[in-house]
Amino acid sequence: MSTTIALSSTAKRDLILIASILIRFLLFQFDNVTEILGSRVEIVTPVTSFRRLTEGIYLFQNGVPPYDGGIFHQPPLLLPIFAYIPTILTPILYTCLDLVFAYLIQEITRIKQQLYKDCPRSDGDEGEIEPWVVAGCYLLNPLTIATCLSKSTVVFTNFAVVASVYYAMKGNRSYAMFGIAMATYLSLYPITMVALIILLLNQNMPGKSIAVHCIILFIGWLSGLIGLSYLLVGSWDFLSATYGFILLLSDLAPNIGLFWYFFIEMFDQFRNFFLVVFQLHTLIFAAPLTIKFRDHPLFAVFVLGGITAVFKSYPSIGDASLYIAFLPIYSEIVNYMRYSFLITNIFLYSSLLAPIFYHLWIYAGSGNANFFYAITLVYSIGNIVLLVDATYAMLRREFDVRNPELKGREVTQK
Amino acid sequence: MWQPYRLVYLLLFNQILLISIYSAKTSDQFRENLIIKPLPDGKVLTHFEFSIHSSNVDESDYDLFPRSIGQIFQTYKARELHLTFTQGRWNYEGWGYPIAPSAGTGVELWAWLWKNENLDKNWRSLTNALAGVFCASLNFIDERSTVQPRLSFRPEGVYIDSELFNSAELRYGSLPHENVCTENLTPWLKLLPCKSKAGISSLLNSHKLYNSNFHSMSVHVQPVCQQKECHNSQLEILQTVSTVFDPVRESGKRDWSLYQLFDRDITRACPLAIESNIVLMLPEVEDYSIDPEPFSIQTVDSTKRRFGVYDLTKSKTNFKLMMKWKEAFFEYDINPIQPDVYAHRYFTGFGQEHGGIKVNLFNRNPTNSINIQYCDVIPWYLRLYMHTLKVTVNGNEISSGPSYPIKQLFYQLAVDRSRPSVMEANISLPADTITTLSIEFDKAFIKYTEHPPDANRGFDVGSAVITTLSKAESKWDSILYQQTQDGIYTETLLISLPTPDFSMPYNVITLTCTVIALFFGSMFNLLTRRFVALDSENRDKK
Repeated sequence: MSTTIALSSTAKRDLILIASILIRFLLFQFDNVTEILGSRVEIVTPVTSFRRLTEGIYLFQNGVPPYDGGIFHQPPLLLPIFAYIPTILTPILYTCLDLVFAYLIQEITRIKQQLYKDCPRSDGDEGEIEPWVVAGCYLLNPLTIATCLSKSTVVFTNFAVVASVYYAMKGNRSYAMFGIAMATYLSLYPITMVALIILLLNQNMPGKSIAVHCIILFIGWLSGLIGLSYLLVGSWDFLSATYGFILLLSDLAPNIGLFWYFFIEMFDQFRNFFLVVFQLHTLIFAAPLTIKFRDHPLFAVFVLGGITAVFKSYPSIGDASLYIAFLPIYSEIVNYMRYSFLITNIFLYSSLLAPIFYHLWIYAGSGNANFFYAITLVYSIGNIVLLVDATYAMLRREFDVRNPELKGREVTQK
Repeated sequence: MWQPYRLVYLLLFNQILLISIYSAKTSDQFRENLIIKPLPDGKVLTHFEFSIHSSNVDESDYDLFPRSIGQIFQTYKARELHLTFTQGRWNYEGWGYPIAPSAGTGVELWAWLWKNENLDKNWRSLTNALAGVFCASLNFIDERSTVQPRLSFRPEGVYIDSELFNSAELRYGSLPHENVCTENLTPWLKLLPCKSKAGISSLLNSHKLYNSNFHSMSVHVQPVCQQKECHNSQLEILQTVSTVFDPVRESGKRDWSLYQLFDRDITRACPLAIESNIVLMLPEVEDYSIDPEPFSIQTVDSTKRRFGVYDLTKSKTNFKLMMKWKEAFFEYDINPIQPDVYAHRYFTGFGQEHGGIKVNLFNRNPTNSINIQYCDVIPWYLRLYMHTLKVTVNGNEISSGPSYPIKQLFYQLAVDRSRPSVMEANISLPADTITTLSIEFDKAFIKYTEHPPDANRGFDVGSAVITTLSKAESKWDSILYQQTQDGIYTETLLISLPTPDFSMPYNVITLTCTVIALFFGSMFNLLTRRFVALDSENRDKK
């Protein structure tokens, strides 16, 4: 009996793997699909657009400084990567990144299950999720597939984050810090996860103080990357064109986030104030989450990833696909979540209506900007409810695990 | 009884005094000319030219040269200055090339300024000062619309090639949405020595000028030379007004008279002018009559075009002029003679998100390829993708090789809210072809305060300028140039950008902040409070 289950399990795994590769390769064959997805505001933003990257490479190769203008806002090291990779290999690169990501998240799940093997359990727990299912969830997530097909460069950031988490859990200090430095270099916001990566490293070697060493490593890698970029483009303009652009929000192109319409409509004299408030609000959760979940840094990575995906200045569904990938690892909290049905519906509702409302506003002219704005609010609320509910479930389960004697009693917050 | 005698003597004496003052100061020379050209499609082009040459313009001594312009020119260290107000569009295919290079619709200002550390400040001050003089919104030419073309807009005055580029810089700005009207013409007229009181300028009747198909008014200040050696270069102010009237619209016939066009006749030449001519370009066909007959008829050697000249200084009475065609009504020529080079520019695409610009450059010369300089200034809110630049010749895409029409390309990237993109190219148009440039762009989403009050009207994009240097000729010797440039201006374009809901700022601020507060509150709650079991006492209290 057990052998047949194992067989069918591996068969399912292989089936999912083959299906996800096939879907990607097939859809990459249609230029229309990649072009449409590559220009959807929900999927690509000014800081991840492959079209803008192509423009940057074109300018770079023709001797025009790419950062001396308002079109290209991605870090310089992406330029040589795509300048020398033949166009035909780009789909293969993106597919491979997704597959390796899936492999890493599967390994992360395995290591996590090993780590918490001996911890007490809650009565509500079902059997542990199989690691390949986590990988499958990532590979078949429509958000992931759309991001991959759009050739959005957020894929690189996601990959760097997950690789950093993987190496942190394996205990490889240098690689882990390089991963998070790379992610920070690529899109700035992952800097909030540095402390969590150090905590993850610490789980492997409790008692040893590695924080200082890790921070030095992080600063070293990051300055190395930035120095290399300087050597590549020969000026510091890229700092203001990439990180300044992310922080100051000079392009108000619509996306699924909260910034764009707010700052289109904002009165000029309050713009700077709200910009500071909004950016701080995104970054500030790093500290309390790290402290609260110091025993579960992996879970904090999920929550911080989610906060970044909702509250960053140029979010896309690619950011959501990163943090949602971490959710199935904590399958044990699903029973404690209260709003799963609502969350599912909000996600379906917003993914259906966002393209329609955008079309009504921009192309049909029969709707106005408020239509799309409303759906971005709905999408944000969906993510927020998911994050809050997952955090609640995690804490509630912890409470049950710690206080098995209180089972069945009504519980409140104090 | 004796008083009238004394009055007559006094008047005579005054007259002698005045004449002697003017003859003592012969430094400034004023010339006025009116060129009238019947156009092939029945319209009539009238082109007024007033020029003053002055050999000593400094801050204290002004004779005929207008002080307001002279002072601005001196104070802001300008070397050359060109300002054009245009209403309507010159129809190159129907009318051929204009006599003075017409500018694109709206206002165009370009100047060569002497290099110094205050150059950009001088340019700002220059635009502001000219805005004051001409009652125009020239002060809106700020750094967002100012550019420095590298290939186009060479100086029109004399210059020494090597010296110029080390000592002066070009600034160019245009306002395509600016309307031109009487309030711009009045200060323009005041710069003339005779205002509109006498001479050719008395014809400039704003009621008639602005009731025309095309109207362009300009002021050019530039250094010129009178002799080959150019020992003492002079400063010239050249004021022109070009207007295209349509007599066919009113009468069905091409017949026109000065009185019909301007509602006025010329009473006398301006007494201060050393030259006062009306030049009528005579059509090649002979089925017309002119009254009065030209005082003299001259022929341009190279083209055999004939023109009749009326010297107003020799005309003692009111000067009337009319032209009649021997036909019952005018029939439009279906195949007008097209000029060699002309261009059309338009937007492609749909929706408010992406778009494209396409320029068709026509070369109708059957045998020769023609070199042109193309200069296009695109505002920052259209984000151009240079990698999408495509060049086709007669529909066949060419991407490189010796037949690639673009010989040289300068590109300046736009910076959001501070400078426009500039695309300049040296293009060789093959004989008898249509060369098409196309490029794609994204429309920017701009703040609600950056939209004009009539947001849904859209934004104007200024003309692209095509300069043909085929006419470039060195008049005197190799290092001293005075080029004639032909500017061909394409259509100005109107683009609508995606608009937000202008009535919503408070709602948006409230709703977005609510969503953020929802998250912050819930998360804060979860992170700071602990779970506790309700004991039985607590429950009872509830």
